[in-house]
Amino acid sequence: MDSNLTRREFLKRAAAAGVAATGLGGLAGLDGAVAEAASTPTIAVASKKDPAALVRAAVGALGGMGKFVKKGDVVFVKPNMGWARKFDQAATTNPGVVAEVVRLCRAAGAREVRVMDHAVDRPDSLLLRMNGIEEAVKKVGGRTSFASSSALYERVSLPRGKALSSVDVMRDLRRADVFINVPIAKVHNSTRLTLGIKNMLGIVWDRGAFHRSSSLDQAMVDLVARIRPHLTILDAVRILLTNGPKGPGRTEDRRIVVAGTDPVAVDAYGVSLFGMKAAQIGHIKLAAAAGLGEIDLKRIKVKDV
Amino acid sequence: MSSHLRLARRVSQLIFLAGFLVLFAFAADPLASPIPVDLYLRADPLLALSAAVSLRKIVWPLVWYALPITVLSILLGRVFCGWICPMGTSIDLLERAFRLRGRRPAEGLRWHRLKFYVLIGMLVTMLIPAAHRANQELGLTQSVGLSAVYLMDPIALLTRTSTWVGLPVVQWAAGMTSDTVSGWSYSRFVERHRGLDRALGPVQIGLAAATRPAYFRLGLVALLMLGGIVALGRYQKRFWCRNLCPLGALLGFLGKLSPVRLAVSDKCNRCMRCVNECKVGAIEDDPKQYRGPECIGCYSCIAVCPQQAISLAVGYDPVARKDEFRLDRRRVLGAIGAGFAAVVIPKASLGAMRTNATENVLKLSSLRLIRPPGSLTETEFVTACVRCGECMKVCPTNTLQPAVGEGGFEALGTPVIVPRVGPCTQPCSLCGRVCPTRAIEPFTVEEKTHLYLGTASVDRSTCIAWAFGRECVICDEACSYDAISQDADERGRPRPVVDERICVGCGICEWVCPVEPLGAIRVNSSGDKRHLRREEQKLLRDRAEQERQEGSPYESDDRPADPGAG
Repeated sequence: MDSNLTRREFLKRAAAAGVAATGLGGLAGLDGAVAEAASTPTIAVASKKDPAALVRAAVGALGGMGKFVKKGDVVFVKPNMGWARKFDQAATTNPGVVAEVVRLCRAAGAREVRVMDHAVDRPDSLLLRMNGIEEAVKKVGGRTSFASSSALYERVSLPRGKALSSVDVMRDLRRADVFINVPIAKVHNSTRLTLGIKNMLGIVWDRGAFHRSSSLDQAMVDLVARIRPHLTILDAVRILLTNGPKGPGRTEDRRIVVAGTDPVAVDAYGVSLFGMKAAQIGHIKLAAAAGLGEIDLKRIKVKDV
Repeated sequence: MSSHLRLARRVSQLIFLAGFLVLFAFAADPLASPIPVDLYLRADPLLALSAAVSLRKIVWPLVWYALPITVLSILLGRVFCGWICPMGTSIDLLERAFRLRGRRPAEGLRWHRLKFYVLIGMLVTMLIPAAHRANQELGLTQSVGLSAVYLMDPIALLTRTSTWVGLPVVQWAAGMTSDTVSGWSYSRFVERHRGLDRALGPVQIGLAAATRPAYFRLGLVALLMLGGIVALGRYQKRFWCRNLCPLGALLGFLGKLSPVRLAVSDKCNRCMRCVNECKVGAIEDDPKQYRGPECIGCYSCIAVCPQQAISLAVGYDPVARKDEFRLDRRRVLGAIGAGFAAVVIPKASLGAMRTNATENVLKLSSLRLIRPPGSLTETEFVTACVRCGECMKVCPTNTLQPAVGEGGFEALGTPVIVPRVGPCTQPCSLCGRVCPTRAIEPFTVEEKTHLYLGTASVDRSTCIAWAFGRECVICDEACSYDAISQDADERGRPRPVVDERICVGCGICEWVCPVEPLGAIRVNSSGDKRHLRREEQKLLRDRAEQERQEGSPYESDDRPADPGAG
């Protein structure tokens, strides 16, 4: 995702990704879905450790961060940090998880790791102070910011979109080499659950357009079909069971981190943590139907670590 | 010695102006200043007087802070105006910048009594009963004035202009630089400046928010007023200070007691330089005489006197220092009438008054009058608020805006929450900590669960969920107080319903609502419960919480339990 990605270059890369895809598809990126769905996706599920160790174990089981991040890469990390809540209220991604992702990227040679979100709550400075992500990330050499101005976004057209025809996506993401999605698992009063795919709403400027569209679920699928994370790391260290997504609500300590390159597979596993079936969650079902990944847990290779 | 005094005065002016600006900058999240950021406002005796007279009660924090300048003025006359006042200094600097020289020194005293009439008019607005409130301690109803002092108090005026005009301009400029001059990513710029903000410690001028400059609805009005004040310098230097400023008038009155005066020795050869150089025209045709209530102690006369004939002396001399005001009786009556009109006409305009409540009188036009948490009842709030704009400066979401028509003319410029600009974000209590007159009383974040500002209501004819049956309950997602619940339609799709007992009217739902431009969920002032004490409001909230847990004791089975189901 260079700034000057031409169509020809893009097609070349997409083809190369298709050929090289092993199911871990490091180069997946834009429109990589086609290459992905064919093989059995692998996800890693780490449990019963402290947050940083969970991330290390899960990413390690996928072959290590070096598989995704090359030396000199600019990495875009998208946690959920958009609510004025303390992290122990489980409305925002665990700062320990985010910091470890950043640290691993830096250790793999990333030139820059940008941790960004588009918050619903205001003001940005207060959010950063409350959720603890900025402080944790700074210690390991990453940078945190919110993109709270339309000037930070650029228009991406969605020619194959069903609910949306275009979307404004963070410029920093478009210009990054690697995109890592780091959601937290929560219940959600509109989409029932919010996991990896739902977390993607934080990379767009006009979230309202998703709600105004003919279907919120389909709009999210349109987005993921175009902008696909290279890696999804789901934080289920502590999950929110009621009054999501903002809380405060009942939380439960699960001490789990799920990682994988197939966003649908990671979400499908995430759904099981709440005792539900993935097919019950509209946007995950639609994403699977659109060929964005595997929803059937029986056809997903789960590495427990 | 003589020019040293002038130098000292200039240094003092710059230091106090810098102090004003630094404290202004400090009025930002996280409010880390050890000195109150509203120090200049608190130190203003006119504001203390206004609060005491118009509210019929002593606001002690104001009194204590106003004491030094009161004493200073009694001892030395209007030296505040010449040495301290940031408004006076700003006028001096701007007159210099725009080369406004005051072409009519000969008419130095032509308008000088005007400021005393202004002060008298102001006192009248404070005194006459404009509304009533129940005094809970005394158990009786008492009157409240409607102080118009905010219009012309120089400190309030300058603070307000700095907020409404200065802040957006600085932030806008910072944002433009990043967009056009540099080739960096916009966000990188923002981030760098967050770093700058941090490096400066708590002194934040909000550069971090440079991509979203603050916005204030009455900025242009404030600018025109300040611009007009400065432009008058074309006619007379410091026209404002000599002819209009009610604070200057008050301090001049106090200075009548001053034992210090200017003394002119026999070396004077009547060269008249002091007459021409006097900033405020306090010296008339005879250099050996000057008007005490006019002199602002700038001591330019001492500095410019070629004979070094002028010095400071102790002891009252009615010939050298003329202290009488010589107010015109007819004009005094005119000022009283004007003060009366300044209360009655705004109150009688723009929206009728509800008259069946004594404490929290809202106008019929006040549907969107959403006051910040901790605000006094409306009657007292409009009286106590001096429109300094500190609360708007400190507000991190920019939701606090000058009222335009919400509270009638008499509430022009007072703070209201405008949710579409931003939410009154839950973990914030800054505005209550910077209000100099306690129009917004301090409150804690915990208390915000039961400080009822208003109530949100869903417009079911435009709501995406209600009107079009699509998935959207982003208002419920964002609600900080769990005041929105869901009512499923026949296909099981959720639709938002507000629990008006829990909703405090913070406006975050209206802020996030994707329906453009106004939002399909809107806060209105119907839930404003400022007429209740905090503990009474808390009781309501606790009861609502309890009913939620245990069910309402008043609902029968044959009626639908859910307010949204009907």
